[in-house]
Amino acid sequence: MKYMRLFIFLLSALTIMSCNRGKDDPGYDFAGSHDMYYTKFYKAYSPNPVFRDSMTNQLPPEGAVARGKTPFPYPGSNIAEKAANQTKAGLELKNPVPVTPEVLAEGKEHFRIFCSDCHGLSGKGDGHLYTSGLFPAKPTSLVDAYVQNKPDGEIYYVITYGSISGLMGAHGSQILPDDRWNIVHYLRELAK
Amino acid sequence: MIIKGFVLKNPLKKRGLIVFSLFVASLFLSFSSIAQTAEAEKNFAQCKACHTIGGGKLVGPDLKGVTEKRDEAWLIKFIQNSQAMVQAGDADAVAVFEENFKIPMPSHNLTDEQVKDILLYIKNGGKVAGAAEEKAETETVQPEQVAQPSLAEQVVEEEARGRKNMYITFVVMIVLLIISLIDIFWTKILKYRWIHIVVILTALWIVSEVLFFEATALGRQQYYQPTQPVWFSHKVHAGQNQIDCMYCHFTADKSMHAGIPSVAVCMNCHSQVKKGKITGEEEIKKVTDAYANGTPIRWIKVHNLPDHVYFNHEQHVKVGKVDCEECHGPVEEMDVVMQVNTLGMGWCIDCHRTKEIDLNNKFYGQYTKLHEKLKNGEIANPTVIDIGGEECAKCHY
Repeated sequence: MKYMRLFIFLLSALTIMSCNRGKDDPGYDFAGSHDMYYTKFYKAYSPNPVFRDSMTNQLPPEGAVARGKTPFPYPGSNIAEKAANQTKAGLELKNPVPVTPEVLAEGKEHFRIFCSDCHGLSGKGDGHLYTSGLFPAKPTSLVDAYVQNKPDGEIYYVITYGSISGLMGAHGSQILPDDRWNIVHYLRELAK
Repeated sequence: MIIKGFVLKNPLKKRGLIVFSLFVASLFLSFSSIAQTAEAEKNFAQCKACHTIGGGKLVGPDLKGVTEKRDEAWLIKFIQNSQAMVQAGDADAVAVFEENFKIPMPSHNLTDEQVKDILLYIKNGGKVAGAAEEKAETETVQPEQVAQPSLAEQVVEEEARGRKNMYITFVVMIVLLIISLIDIFWTKILKYRWIHIVVILTALWIVSEVLFFEATALGRQQYYQPTQPVWFSHKVHAGQNQIDCMYCHFTADKSMHAGIPSVAVCMNCHSQVKKGKITGEEEIKKVTDAYANGTPIRWIKVHNLPDHVYFNHEQHVKVGKVDCEECHGPVEEMDVVMQVNTLGMGWCIDCHRTKEIDLNNKFYGQYTKLHEKLKNGEIANPTVIDIGGEECAKCHY
């Protein structure tokens, strides 16, 4: 009989436990910190008590160059720097990626993801964000002479740091360098 | 009464005439200004890339008051071809050019009339009564669209209802179980013991099934929908604005993590878009403040896996070509993101068993046995299982 009472008590305890789960409640887990459910390492994006700004992903020290990455000595954090370096990059940089059908296909895909929202799939500056009236300024047409007459390096620079006006934001953090060059190739193809 | 030297004999009548003529004139004026600005507004979109009206300097100077500062003929000439003027040595043009980091203003193919239209538009402060009304209309339409419950919300509602029913059955069954147990051992009201046994057995069966259901949900977070620090709507961004998932989650095909975008990515649009349709300025301000102060936003992770499972987005997105929606559900319909799938192991394996692999991938060339089997006709469509998708150490190591 003792066991029966214990059994009933356990059942009712479980009943109460399983009720009232809200949207914000992730639910229970049976393992807790054991059983490798939660390990001690800090994951990407998780807060970190070791660093003062409590971010696990830290910025690299200034001037550091990651392995396999080419340094890009054309800073563009403000209008004056952008204005000076955009033409400079245009004169000095050359597209290191050869044109192949695969490169164009890659460029097309990245253009669709990162550019077409504003500039449109045709590159005429008729993207959905502008035509629906959400974004106030008209995006530049990428197939007209104004952009097409610029050298590859200058277009690459604008993708990396955004336009001088700041209306187009910097996309250097989102698109890898080679993919940016692919997009430049695709832009030339688009204007043909 | 004397107006400009006229002596009016019937002041009331004349005043009425003046008022009437003024009214007619203003009607004409307002009508013509709307007609002008409709085109001017369209043309001014090109200017907006570098200029604002009263919004501060972008690339070029703020255009507020430019029509008073400079002569109209000069402005027309400058807008049509600024570089020609700079090269010709016009003092004002050179000064403007030098002031603005020597960035040339591109020439615009606009007729004199169109430039005059634009100048009128600038003079009006970039706003016309007609245009403002239109905007107000579209804004009032929006909330109705938002009010419709999305698919995800319906799923949650159904789930909640099902859960409630389940709990009620569970409690009823427990009560029945207890009653029959008490009766069988102590009170002994019912003479027929088989009734007790039937009741106890059914109750035990249902209770254990509910317990099993709840136990399998342990450690999983299906239908988890945490409130985020910023009211960010995927329904607006990915659904209505048609922004690709990979625009923000750009590391999904390059890294283990799909990536939470930094606020700098938000600022690509929100440096200009300061007012949302649903929450107004309040929520967007949180993002712009975070950008200005350099403090990260603490988003709450929705889709969690225990640490003893290794999951890599790159492998699934780039190689497997799995759509985001296959695992994350219709995110573009959710205002607040919810985990719709269990993310349990059975769910993973189910897909591995049915998902066909793309044999054009050169990496699979090394699976010689697989190719022999294909040649002999033993298997028709190789799935992930055939390349080791069911091996424990693929995910648990």
